[in-house]
Amino acid sequence: MREAFGRIISELGDEHKDLMVLTADVGNSTKAVYFREKFPNRYFNVGISEQHLIDFAAGLAATGKLPVVAGFAMFLMRAWEQIRNTVCRMNLNVKIVATHSGYSDYNDGSSHQSLEDIALMRVLPRMKVVVPADSWEVRRSLPVILREPGPIYYRIGRDYSPPITESFKYDFKIGEATVLKDGSDLVIIGAGVVLWDAIKVAEKLEQMNISTAVIDMTTIKPIDEKVIETYARKTGRIVTIEEHNVIGGLGSAVSEVVVKKYPVPIRMVGASDFGRSARSQRELLDYYKINDKSLMNASLELLRLKS
Amino acid sequence: MSLYNNDIHLGSSLSTVEILTTIVLKFKRDGSSEDKDWLILSKGHAAPALYAVLAEKNLIPTNELWKIQDINSILQGHPEIFIPGVDMSTGSLGQGLSFGVGVAEGLKMSRRNGRVYVIMGDGEQDEGQVWEAATHAASMKLNNLISIVDANGYQLDDATEEIKPKHYLPEVWRAIGWNVVHCDGHDIISISYALENGINSRKPTVIFAKTIRGKGLPLIENSKKQKVNNGDAEE
Repeated sequence: MREAFGRIISELGDEHKDLMVLTADVGNSTKAVYFREKFPNRYFNVGISEQHLIDFAAGLAATGKLPVVAGFAMFLMRAWEQIRNTVCRMNLNVKIVATHSGYSDYNDGSSHQSLEDIALMRVLPRMKVVVPADSWEVRRSLPVILREPGPIYYRIGRDYSPPITESFKYDFKIGEATVLKDGSDLVIIGAGVVLWDAIKVAEKLEQMNISTAVIDMTTIKPIDEKVIETYARKTGRIVTIEEHNVIGGLGSAVSEVVVKKYPVPIRMVGASDFGRSARSQRELLDYYKINDKSLMNASLELLRLKS
Repeated sequence: MSLYNNDIHLGSSLSTVEILTTIVLKFKRDGSSEDKDWLILSKGHAAPALYAVLAEKNLIPTNELWKIQDINSILQGHPEIFIPGVDMSTGSLGQGLSFGVGVAEGLKMSRRNGRVYVIMGDGEQDEGQVWEAATHAASMKLNNLISIVDANGYQLDDATEEIKPKHYLPEVWRAIGWNVVHCDGHDIISISYALENGINSRKPTVIFAKTIRGKGLPLIENSKKQKVNNGDAEE
Protein backbone atom coordinates (compact mmCIF):
# COMPACT_ATOMS: atom_id res chain seq x y z
CA MET A 1 0.00 0.00 0.00
CA ARG A 2 2.87 2.35 0.74
CA GLU A 3 4.10 1.64 -2.77
CA ALA A 4 0.77 2.82 -4.17
CA PHE A 5 0.89 5.93 -2.00
CA GLY A 6 4.41 6.85 -3.14
CA ARG A 7 3.59 6.39 -6.82
CA ILE A 8 0.21 8.14 -6.76
CA ILE A 9 1.28 11.13 -4.68
CA SER A 10 4.10 11.69 -7.19
CA GLU A 11 1.58 11.66 -10.05
CA LEU A 12 -0.59 14.20 -8.21
CA GLY A 13 2.26 16.68 -7.86
CA ASP A 14 1.71 18.02 -11.38
CA GLU A 15 -1.95 18.82 -10.81
CA HIS A 16 -1.45 20.34 -7.34
CA LYS A 17 1.27 22.99 -7.57
CA ASP A 18 1.03 23.69 -3.84
CA LEU A 19 1.38 20.04 -2.85
CA MET A 20 4.35 19.45 -0.51
CA VAL A 21 5.40 16.09 0.89
CA LEU A 22 6.90 16.14 4.36
CA THR A 23 8.44 13.36 6.39
CA ALA A 24 10.46 12.78 9.55
CA ASP A 25 13.30 10.63 8.24
CA VAL A 26 11.05 7.86 6.94
CA GLY A 27 10.93 8.97 3.31
CA ASN A 28 12.20 5.61 2.10
CA SER A 29 10.04 3.53 4.42
CA THR A 30 6.85 5.44 3.56
CA LYS A 31 7.81 5.73 -0.15
CA ALA A 32 7.28 9.49 0.15
CA VAL A 33 10.74 9.68 -1.39
CA TYR A 34 9.25 8.95 -4.83
CA PHE A 35 7.83 12.46 -4.70
CA ARG A 36 11.31 13.89 -4.14
CA GLU A 37 12.54 12.36 -7.38
CA LYS A 38 10.02 14.45 -9.33
CA PHE A 39 9.67 17.49 -7.09
CA PRO A 40 12.84 17.93 -5.02
CA ASN A 41 11.91 21.50 -4.04
CA ARG A 42 8.57 20.46 -2.62
CA TYR A 43 9.88 17.62 -0.46
CA PHE A 44 11.05 18.10 3.13
CA ASN A 45 12.71 15.70 5.52
CA VAL A 46 12.66 17.52 8.86
CA GLY A 47 14.71 14.89 10.68
CA ILE A 48 13.46 12.56 13.38
CA SER A 49 11.03 15.02 14.94
CA GLU A 50 7.36 14.17 14.51
CA GLN A 51 5.99 16.93 16.72
CA HIS A 52 7.82 19.57 14.73
CA LEU A 53 6.77 17.80 11.52
CA ILE A 54 3.09 18.33 12.27
CA ASP A 55 3.37 21.99 13.28
CA PHE A 56 5.73 22.71 10.37
CA ALA A 57 3.03 21.29 8.09
CA ALA A 58 0.45 23.44 9.90
CA GLY A 59 2.51 26.57 9.21
CA LEU A 60 2.85 25.69 5.53
CA ALA A 61 -0.89 25.08 5.33
CA ALA A 62 -1.57 28.47 6.94
CA THR A 63 0.22 30.12 4.00
CA GLY A 64 -1.95 28.25 1.50
CA LYS A 65 0.23 25.24 0.77
CA LEU A 66 -1.09 21.68 0.67
CA PRO A 67 1.18 19.67 2.97
CA VAL A 68 0.99 15.88 2.98
CA VAL A 69 2.76 14.45 6.00
CA ALA A 70 4.04 10.89 5.66
CA GLY A 71 5.12 8.90 8.68
CA PHE A 72 4.63 5.68 10.61
CA ALA A 73 1.15 5.70 12.17
CA MET A 74 2.59 4.86 15.57
CA PHE A 75 5.12 7.68 15.67
CA LEU A 76 2.76 10.29 14.31
CA MET A 77 0.73 9.60 17.44
CA ARG A 78 3.43 11.25 19.53
CA ALA A 79 2.29 14.43 17.79
CA TRP A 80 -1.34 13.86 18.80
CA GLU A 81 -1.32 17.03 20.85
CA GLN A 82 0.11 19.05 17.96
CA ILE A 83 -2.55 17.59 15.68
CA ARG A 84 -5.22 18.54 18.19
CA ASN A 85 -4.06 21.93 19.36
CA THR A 86 -2.71 23.36 16.13
CA VAL A 87 -3.98 21.45 13.08
CA CYS A 88 -7.54 20.74 14.24
CA ARG A 89 -8.13 23.84 16.36
CA MET A 90 -7.17 25.98 13.37
CA ASN A 91 -8.88 23.59 10.93
CA LEU A 92 -5.80 23.55 8.69
CA ASN A 93 -5.48 21.77 5.41
CA VAL A 94 -2.98 19.15 6.55
CA LYS A 95 -3.19 15.62 5.17
CA ILE A 96 -1.64 13.01 7.44
CA VAL A 97 -0.69 9.80 5.63
CA ALA A 98 0.02 7.21 8.29
CA THR A 99 1.78 4.15 6.93
CA HIS A 100 2.75 0.94 8.78
CA SER A 101 -0.59 0.94 10.59
CA GLY A 102 -2.07 -2.07 12.35
CA TYR A 103 0.25 -5.07 12.36
CA SER A 104 1.76 -4.18 8.98
CA ASP A 105 5.14 -3.51 10.57
CA TYR A 106 5.12 -7.17 11.55
CA ASN A 107 8.82 -7.69 12.16
CA ASP A 108 9.48 -4.59 14.29
CA GLY A 109 7.03 -5.67 16.97
CA SER A 110 4.69 -3.86 19.32
CA SER A 111 6.62 -0.56 19.54
CA HIS A 112 6.01 0.05 15.84
CA GLN A 113 2.50 -1.35 15.48
CA SER A 114 -0.38 1.07 15.67
CA LEU A 115 -3.63 -0.33 17.04
CA GLU A 116 -4.95 2.79 18.75
CA ASP A 117 -4.62 5.51 16.11
CA ILE A 118 -8.18 5.41 14.73
CA ALA A 119 -9.53 6.04 18.24
CA LEU A 120 -7.08 8.87 18.83
CA MET A 121 -7.83 10.58 15.52
CA ARG A 122 -11.56 9.93 15.44
CA VAL A 123 -12.13 11.80 18.67
CA LEU A 124 -10.65 15.04 17.34
CA PRO A 125 -13.13 17.70 16.21
CA ARG A 126 -12.79 18.58 12.49
CA MET A 127 -10.57 15.56 11.76
CA LYS A 128 -11.71 13.12 9.08
CA VAL A 129 -10.47 9.53 9.15
CA VAL A 130 -10.05 7.44 5.99
CA VAL A 131 -8.86 3.83 5.85
CA PRO A 132 -8.43 2.43 2.32
CA ALA A 133 -8.92 -1.31 1.94
CA ASP A 134 -6.14 -1.93 -0.56
CA SER A 135 -3.81 -0.37 -3.13
CA TRP A 136 -6.68 0.02 -5.59
CA GLU A 137 -8.63 2.02 -3.09
CA VAL A 138 -5.57 4.17 -2.44
CA ARG A 139 -5.64 5.02 -6.15
CA ARG A 140 -9.35 5.89 -6.00
CA SER A 141 -9.24 7.87 -2.77
CA LEU A 142 -5.94 9.76 -2.60
CA PRO A 143 -6.85 12.30 -5.31
CA VAL A 144 -10.18 12.91 -3.52
CA ILE A 145 -8.43 13.38 -0.19
CA LEU A 146 -6.22 16.10 -1.64
CA ARG A 147 -9.23 18.01 -2.95
CA GLU A 148 -11.13 17.80 0.36
CA PRO A 149 -10.38 20.81 2.59
CA GLY A 150 -9.38 20.43 6.24
CA PRO A 151 -7.41 17.88 8.25
CA ILE A 152 -7.58 14.24 7.20
CA TYR A 153 -5.98 11.16 8.75
CA TYR A 154 -5.30 8.65 5.98
CA ARG A 155 -4.37 5.24 7.37
CA ILE A 156 -2.53 2.71 5.22
CA GLY A 157 -0.38 -0.34 5.79
CA ARG A 158 2.96 -1.40 4.45
CA ASP A 159 3.07 -4.09 1.76
CA TYR A 160 0.33 -6.65 2.46
CA SER A 161 -2.59 -5.70 0.24
CA PRO A 162 -4.83 -8.55 -0.96
CA PRO A 163 -7.04 -7.52 -3.93
CA ILE A 164 -10.25 -6.55 -2.15
CA THR A 165 -11.60 -3.79 -4.37
CA GLU A 166 -9.62 -4.48 -7.55
CA SER A 167 -12.57 -5.78 -9.57
CA PHE A 168 -15.00 -3.11 -8.34
CA LYS A 169 -15.98 0.01 -10.22
CA TYR A 170 -16.99 2.97 -8.05
CA ASP A 171 -15.94 6.50 -7.29
CA PHE A 172 -14.65 7.12 -3.82
CA LYS A 173 -16.53 9.81 -1.92
CA ILE A 174 -15.71 10.95 1.59
CA GLY A 175 -18.34 9.69 4.01
CA GLU A 176 -19.75 7.11 1.59
CA ALA A 177 -19.25 3.43 2.27
CA THR A 178 -19.02 0.85 -0.52
CA VAL A 179 -21.24 -2.22 -0.48
CA LEU A 180 -18.89 -4.93 -1.69
CA LYS A 181 -21.57 -7.58 -1.44
CA ASP A 182 -25.28 -7.35 -0.74
CA GLY A 183 -27.09 -9.64 1.69
CA SER A 184 -30.11 -9.79 3.98
CA ASP A 185 -29.36 -12.08 6.97
CA LEU A 186 -26.17 -10.52 8.28
CA VAL A 187 -23.81 -7.64 7.50
CA ILE A 188 -20.06 -7.55 8.01
CA ILE A 189 -18.64 -4.05 8.19
CA GLY A 190 -14.89 -3.66 7.92
CA ALA A 191 -12.10 -1.27 7.04
CA GLY A 192 -8.65 -1.98 5.68
CA VAL A 193 -6.99 -5.22 4.60
CA VAL A 194 -9.14 -7.33 6.94
CA LEU A 195 -12.01 -6.97 4.47
CA TRP A 196 -10.29 -9.79 2.58
CA ASP A 197 -11.34 -12.12 5.39
CA ALA A 198 -14.82 -10.61 5.43
CA ILE A 199 -15.37 -11.46 1.76
CA LYS A 200 -14.09 -15.01 2.28
CA VAL A 201 -16.48 -15.56 5.20
CA ALA A 202 -19.42 -14.05 3.34
CA GLU A 203 -18.89 -16.54 0.52
CA LYS A 204 -18.77 -19.43 2.99
CA LEU A 205 -21.93 -18.22 4.75
CA GLU A 206 -23.61 -17.91 1.38
CA GLN A 207 -22.93 -21.62 0.79
CA MET A 208 -24.70 -22.24 4.10
CA ASN A 209 -27.71 -20.27 2.74
CA ILE A 210 -26.98 -17.26 4.94
CA SER A 211 -27.24 -14.13 2.86
CA THR A 212 -24.33 -11.96 4.00
CA ALA A 213 -23.56 -8.37 3.07
CA VAL A 214 -20.04 -6.90 3.22
CA ILE A 215 -19.48 -3.18 3.60
CA ASP A 216 -16.18 -1.38 3.06
CA MET A 217 -16.30 1.50 5.54
CA THR A 218 -13.43 3.45 4.01
CA THR A 219 -14.40 6.66 5.76
CA ILE A 220 -14.58 6.03 9.48
CA LYS A 221 -15.30 9.69 10.13
CA PRO A 222 -17.66 11.14 9.04
CA ILE A 223 -19.18 7.65 9.01
CA ASP A 224 -21.88 6.61 6.54
CA GLU A 225 -24.84 6.56 8.94
CA LYS A 226 -27.28 5.88 6.14
CA VAL A 227 -25.70 2.63 4.99
CA ILE A 228 -25.35 1.43 8.60
CA GLU A 229 -29.00 2.12 9.36
CA THR A 230 -30.15 0.56 6.10
CA TYR A 231 -28.27 -2.67 6.78
CA ALA A 232 -29.15 -2.74 10.48
CA ARG A 233 -32.82 -2.70 9.45
CA LYS A 234 -32.33 -5.13 6.59
CA THR A 235 -30.22 -7.79 8.36
CA GLY A 236 -30.73 -7.21 12.07
CA ARG A 237 -27.17 -8.34 12.87
CA ILE A 238 -23.80 -6.67 12.47
CA VAL A 239 -20.27 -7.99 12.76
CA THR A 240 -17.39 -5.54 12.50
CA ILE A 241 -13.75 -6.30 11.78
CA GLU A 242 -10.76 -4.01 12.10
CA GLU A 243 -6.99 -4.15 12.41
CA HIS A 244 -7.19 -1.93 15.49
CA ASN A 245 -8.21 -2.14 19.10
CA VAL A 246 -11.94 -2.76 19.44
CA ILE A 247 -12.11 0.14 21.89
CA GLY A 248 -12.67 3.36 20.01
CA GLY A 249 -12.19 1.96 16.52
CA LEU A 250 -14.52 1.03 13.67
CA GLY A 251 -16.68 -1.26 15.81
CA SER A 252 -17.24 1.53 18.30
CA ALA A 253 -18.00 4.00 15.52
CA VAL A 254 -20.59 1.66 13.99
CA SER A 255 -22.13 0.98 17.42
CA GLU A 256 -22.52 4.69 18.08
CA VAL A 257 -24.69 4.93 14.98
CA VAL A 258 -26.61 1.73 15.58
CA VAL A 259 -27.69 2.57 19.15
CA LYS A 260 -29.01 5.88 17.87
CA LYS A 261 -30.68 4.79 14.62
CA TYR A 262 -31.80 1.18 14.94
CA PRO A 263 -30.40 -0.97 17.78
CA VAL A 264 -29.41 -4.51 16.75
CA PRO A 265 -26.86 -6.95 18.22
CA ILE A 266 -23.25 -6.31 17.20
CA ARG A 267 -20.08 -8.38 17.54
CA MET A 268 -16.66 -6.79 17.12
CA VAL A 269 -13.58 -8.54 15.82
CA GLY A 270 -10.35 -6.66 16.47
CA ALA A 271 -7.35 -6.30 18.75
CA SER A 272 -7.39 -6.02 22.51
CA ASP A 273 -3.69 -5.92 23.37
CA PHE A 274 -0.31 -4.85 21.99
CA GLY A 275 1.12 -6.86 19.12
CA ARG A 276 4.43 -8.71 18.78
CA SER A 277 7.00 -9.61 16.15
CA ALA A 278 6.28 -12.20 13.47
CA ARG A 279 7.29 -13.18 9.96
CA SER A 280 4.30 -11.58 8.25
CA GLN A 281 1.26 -9.39 8.80
CA ARG A 282 -0.96 -12.30 7.85
CA GLU A 283 0.61 -14.44 10.57
CA LEU A 284 -0.17 -11.74 13.16
CA LEU A 285 -3.78 -11.32 12.03
CA ASP A 286 -4.28 -15.05 12.50
CA TYR A 287 -2.33 -15.12 15.78
CA TYR A 288 -4.55 -12.39 17.25
CA LYS A 289 -7.67 -13.96 15.74
CA ILE A 290 -8.57 -11.03 13.53
CA ASN A 291 -9.50 -13.31 10.66
CA ASP A 292 -12.11 -15.33 8.82
CA LYS A 293 -12.43 -17.89 11.64
CA SER A 294 -13.33 -15.25 14.23
CA LEU A 295 -15.72 -13.63 11.80
CA MET A 296 -17.41 -16.97 11.21
CA ASN A 297 -17.76 -17.64 14.94
CA ALA A 298 -19.13 -14.16 15.62
CA SER A 299 -21.57 -14.47 12.71
CA LEU A 300 -22.90 -17.86 13.81
CA GLU A 301 -23.24 -16.60 17.37
CA LEU A 302 -25.39 -13.70 16.18
CA LEU A 303 -27.48 -15.95 13.96
CA ARG A 304 -28.17 -18.25 16.90
CA LEU A 305 -29.22 -15.25 19.03
CA LYS A 306 -32.05 -14.28 16.79
CA SER A 307 -33.29 -17.62 15.50
CA MET B 1 -8.07 43.51 32.98
CA SER B 2 -6.96 41.75 36.13
CA LEU B 3 -9.29 44.04 38.09
CA TYR B 4 -12.18 42.41 36.27
CA ASN B 5 -10.72 38.94 36.07
CA ASN B 6 -8.21 37.63 38.55
CA ASP B 7 -7.57 34.46 36.54
CA ILE B 8 -5.25 35.90 33.91
CA HIS B 9 -1.48 35.33 33.82
CA LEU B 10 -0.74 38.87 34.89
CA GLY B 11 2.96 38.59 35.69
CA SER B 12 3.94 36.94 32.41
CA SER B 13 1.67 39.28 30.45
CA LEU B 14 3.33 42.35 31.94
CA SER B 15 6.83 41.11 31.07
CA THR B 16 5.95 40.98 27.39
CA VAL B 17 3.96 44.21 26.88
CA GLU B 18 6.77 46.30 25.39
CA ILE B 19 7.89 43.48 23.10
CA LEU B 20 4.36 43.10 21.74
CA THR B 21 3.87 46.87 21.51
CA THR B 22 7.06 47.31 19.50
CA ILE B 23 6.31 44.48 17.09
CA VAL B 24 2.60 45.13 16.58
CA LEU B 25 2.61 48.93 16.47
CA LYS B 26 6.02 49.58 14.90
CA PHE B 27 7.26 46.59 12.88
CA LYS B 28 4.43 44.33 11.80
CA ARG B 29 3.19 45.02 8.28
CA ASP B 30 -0.45 44.20 7.70
CA GLY B 31 -0.71 45.28 4.10
CA SER B 32 -1.35 43.06 1.12
CA SER B 33 -0.69 39.36 1.32
CA GLU B 34 2.59 40.02 -0.52
CA ASP B 35 4.31 41.54 2.49
CA LYS B 36 2.06 40.65 5.40
CA ASP B 37 4.05 39.82 8.52
CA TRP B 38 3.00 37.14 11.01
CA LEU B 39 3.01 37.35 14.79
CA ILE B 40 2.87 34.15 16.78
CA LEU B 41 2.48 34.40 20.53
CA SER B 42 3.84 30.98 21.39
CA LYS B 43 3.67 31.84 25.08
CA GLY B 44 -0.09 32.07 24.66
CA HIS B 45 -0.69 32.71 28.35
CA ALA B 46 0.39 36.33 27.71
CA ALA B 47 -2.82 36.74 25.69
CA PRO B 48 -4.06 39.68 27.84
CA ALA B 49 -1.01 41.71 26.79
CA LEU B 50 -1.60 40.81 23.14
CA TYR B 51 -5.28 41.77 23.34
CA ALA B 52 -4.42 45.11 24.95
CA VAL B 53 -1.98 45.90 22.14
CA LEU B 54 -4.47 44.75 19.48
CA ALA B 55 -7.00 47.11 21.07
CA GLU B 56 -4.50 49.95 20.69
CA LYS B 57 -4.46 49.08 17.01
CA ASN B 58 -8.28 49.14 16.95
CA LEU B 59 -8.47 45.48 15.97
CA ILE B 60 -10.35 44.69 19.21
CA PRO B 61 -12.83 47.11 20.84
CA THR B 62 -11.37 48.43 24.11
CA ASN B 63 -14.53 47.62 26.04
CA GLU B 64 -14.12 43.97 25.02
CA LEU B 65 -10.89 43.80 27.05
CA TRP B 66 -12.75 43.84 30.35
CA LYS B 67 -14.72 40.79 29.24
CA ILE B 68 -11.66 38.57 28.79
CA GLN B 69 -12.48 34.91 29.48
CA ASP B 70 -16.17 35.73 29.79
CA ILE B 71 -18.37 33.06 28.22
CA ASN B 72 -19.82 35.65 25.85
CA SER B 73 -16.51 37.29 24.93
CA ILE B 74 -14.38 36.55 21.86
CA LEU B 75 -11.31 36.97 24.07
CA GLN B 76 -10.24 33.50 25.14
CA GLY B 77 -7.77 32.68 27.89
CA HIS B 78 -5.27 31.86 25.15
CA PRO B 79 -5.16 33.26 21.59
CA GLU B 80 -7.48 31.80 18.95
CA ILE B 81 -7.42 32.69 15.27
CA PHE B 82 -11.04 33.83 15.35
CA ILE B 83 -9.84 36.84 17.35
CA PRO B 84 -8.93 39.71 14.99
CA GLY B 85 -5.16 40.18 14.73
CA VAL B 86 -4.29 36.67 15.97
CA ASP B 87 -2.25 34.63 13.45
CA MET B 88 -2.01 31.34 15.35
CA SER B 89 -4.10 29.62 18.00
CA THR B 90 -1.69 28.88 20.81
CA GLY B 91 -1.74 27.93 24.47
CA SER B 92 0.24 24.71 24.39
CA LEU B 93 3.89 25.63 24.82
CA GLY B 94 6.58 24.66 22.32
CA GLN B 95 4.46 24.73 19.17
CA GLY B 96 4.76 28.32 17.99
CA LEU B 97 8.27 28.07 16.61
CA SER B 98 7.53 24.96 14.54
CA PHE B 99 4.46 26.66 13.08
CA GLY B 100 6.56 29.79 12.48
CA VAL B 101 9.14 27.73 10.60
CA GLY B 102 6.35 26.37 8.39
CA VAL B 103 4.95 29.86 7.74
CA ALA B 104 8.42 31.30 7.03
CA GLU B 105 9.19 28.52 4.55
CA GLY B 106 5.73 28.80 2.98
CA LEU B 107 6.23 32.55 2.46
CA LYS B 108 9.64 31.98 0.88
CA MET B 109 8.31 29.34 -1.47
CA SER B 110 5.54 31.71 -2.56
CA ARG B 111 8.15 34.48 -3.02
CA ARG B 112 6.41 36.67 -0.50
CA ASN B 113 8.33 39.14 1.64
CA GLY B 114 6.54 38.59 4.94
CA ARG B 115 8.48 38.12 8.14
CA VAL B 116 7.52 35.84 11.00
CA TYR B 117 7.83 36.92 14.64
CA VAL B 118 7.55 34.19 17.28
CA ILE B 119 7.44 35.16 20.95
CA MET B 120 8.36 32.41 23.39
CA GLY B 121 8.90 32.28 27.12
CA ASP B 122 12.18 31.34 28.79
CA GLY B 123 10.41 28.51 30.64
CA GLU B 124 9.09 27.36 27.27
CA GLN B 125 12.66 26.54 26.27
CA ASP B 126 12.23 23.37 28.36
CA GLU B 127 10.01 21.96 25.58
CA GLY B 128 11.90 19.54 23.34
CA GLN B 129 9.93 20.65 20.30
CA VAL B 130 11.57 24.10 20.46
CA TRP B 131 14.84 22.36 19.61
CA GLU B 132 13.31 20.27 16.84
CA ALA B 133 12.18 23.54 15.29
CA ALA B 134 15.30 25.59 16.01
CA THR B 135 17.61 23.08 14.35
CA HIS B 136 15.33 22.80 11.31
CA ALA B 137 15.04 26.59 10.89
CA ALA B 138 18.83 26.95 11.01
CA SER B 139 19.33 24.20 8.43
CA MET B 140 16.94 26.01 6.08
CA LYS B 141 18.56 29.42 6.78
CA LEU B 142 15.19 31.10 7.33
CA ASN B 143 16.27 34.74 7.57
CA ASN B 144 12.62 35.85 7.55
CA LEU B 145 12.13 34.28 10.98
CA ILE B 146 12.73 36.23 14.18
CA SER B 147 12.02 34.65 17.53
CA ILE B 148 11.99 36.55 20.78
CA VAL B 149 12.55 34.88 24.13
CA ASP B 150 10.83 36.83 26.89
CA ALA B 151 13.44 36.10 29.56
CA ASN B 152 11.53 37.07 32.70
CA GLY B 153 13.35 34.51 34.78
CA TYR B 154 10.29 32.63 36.03
CA GLN B 155 8.20 29.68 35.02
CA LEU B 156 5.04 28.39 36.68
CA ASP B 157 6.48 26.71 39.74
CA ASP B 158 9.57 28.78 40.44
CA ALA B 159 12.49 30.83 39.09
CA THR B 160 13.76 29.29 35.83
CA GLU B 161 17.25 28.77 37.26
CA GLU B 162 15.71 26.76 40.11
CA ILE B 163 13.72 24.51 37.79
CA LYS B 164 16.33 23.97 35.10
CA PRO B 165 19.20 26.37 34.33
CA LYS B 166 18.71 28.54 31.26
CA HIS B 167 21.77 30.83 31.36
CA TYR B 168 23.56 28.81 28.67
CA LEU B 169 20.71 28.97 26.15
CA PRO B 170 22.09 31.85 24.01
CA GLU B 171 25.24 29.77 23.42
CA VAL B 172 23.13 26.80 22.35
CA TRP B 173 21.11 28.86 19.87
CA ARG B 174 24.35 30.33 18.47
CA ALA B 175 25.91 26.87 18.13
CA ILE B 176 22.86 25.66 16.20
CA GLY B 177 23.34 28.45 13.68
CA TRP B 178 21.10 31.29 14.80
CA ASN B 179 21.94 34.98 14.94
CA VAL B 180 21.70 35.67 18.69
CA VAL B 181 20.87 39.19 19.92
CA HIS B 182 20.22 40.55 23.40
CA CYS B 183 18.06 43.48 24.43
CA ASP B 184 16.26 45.14 27.30
CA GLY B 185 12.74 43.81 26.90
CA HIS B 186 11.15 46.86 28.52
CA ASP B 187 12.98 49.46 26.42
CA ILE B 188 11.30 50.05 23.09
CA ILE B 189 14.46 51.51 21.54
CA SER B 190 16.53 48.51 22.66
CA ILE B 191 13.87 46.10 21.33
CA SER B 192 13.73 48.02 18.04
CA TYR B 193 17.51 47.80 17.55
CA ALA B 194 17.38 44.06 18.19
CA LEU B 195 14.52 43.59 15.69
CA GLU B 196 16.37 45.68 13.07
CA ASN B 197 19.39 43.47 13.60
CA GLY B 198 17.20 40.41 13.03
CA ILE B 199 15.61 41.86 9.90
CA ASN B 200 19.05 42.46 8.38
CA SER B 201 20.46 39.08 9.37
CA ARG B 202 21.14 36.37 6.82
CA LYS B 203 20.36 33.73 9.45
CA PRO B 204 17.25 33.21 11.58
CA THR B 205 17.47 35.47 14.62
CA VAL B 206 16.68 34.86 18.26
CA ILE B 207 16.41 37.85 20.57
CA PHE B 208 16.90 37.28 24.27
CA ALA B 209 14.84 40.06 25.82
CA LYS B 210 15.67 40.54 29.48
CA THR B 211 12.44 41.34 31.23
CA ILE B 212 10.89 41.53 34.68
CA ARG B 213 7.90 39.42 35.42
CA GLY B 214 5.02 41.53 36.71
CA LYS B 215 6.74 44.71 35.49
CA GLY B 216 4.95 47.82 36.80
CA LEU B 217 3.16 46.14 39.71
CA PRO B 218 5.53 46.14 42.70
CA LEU B 219 3.40 43.62 44.57
CA ILE B 220 4.16 40.89 42.05
CA GLU B 221 7.22 42.31 40.29
CA ASN B 222 10.09 39.88 39.78
CA SER B 223 8.30 37.02 41.49
CA LYS B 224 6.40 33.96 40.46
CA LYS B 225 3.17 35.60 41.63
CA GLN B 226 0.60 35.91 38.84
CA LYS B 227 -2.14 37.65 40.75
CA VAL B 228 -2.76 40.60 42.96
CA ASN B 229 -5.84 40.31 45.11
CA ASN B 230 -8.63 42.73 44.31
CA GLY B 231 -7.62 45.23 46.97
CA ASP B 232 -3.99 45.25 45.89
CA ALA B 233 -4.91 45.62 42.26
CA GLU B 234 -5.67 49.28 42.91
CA GLU B 235 -1.87 49.71 42.63
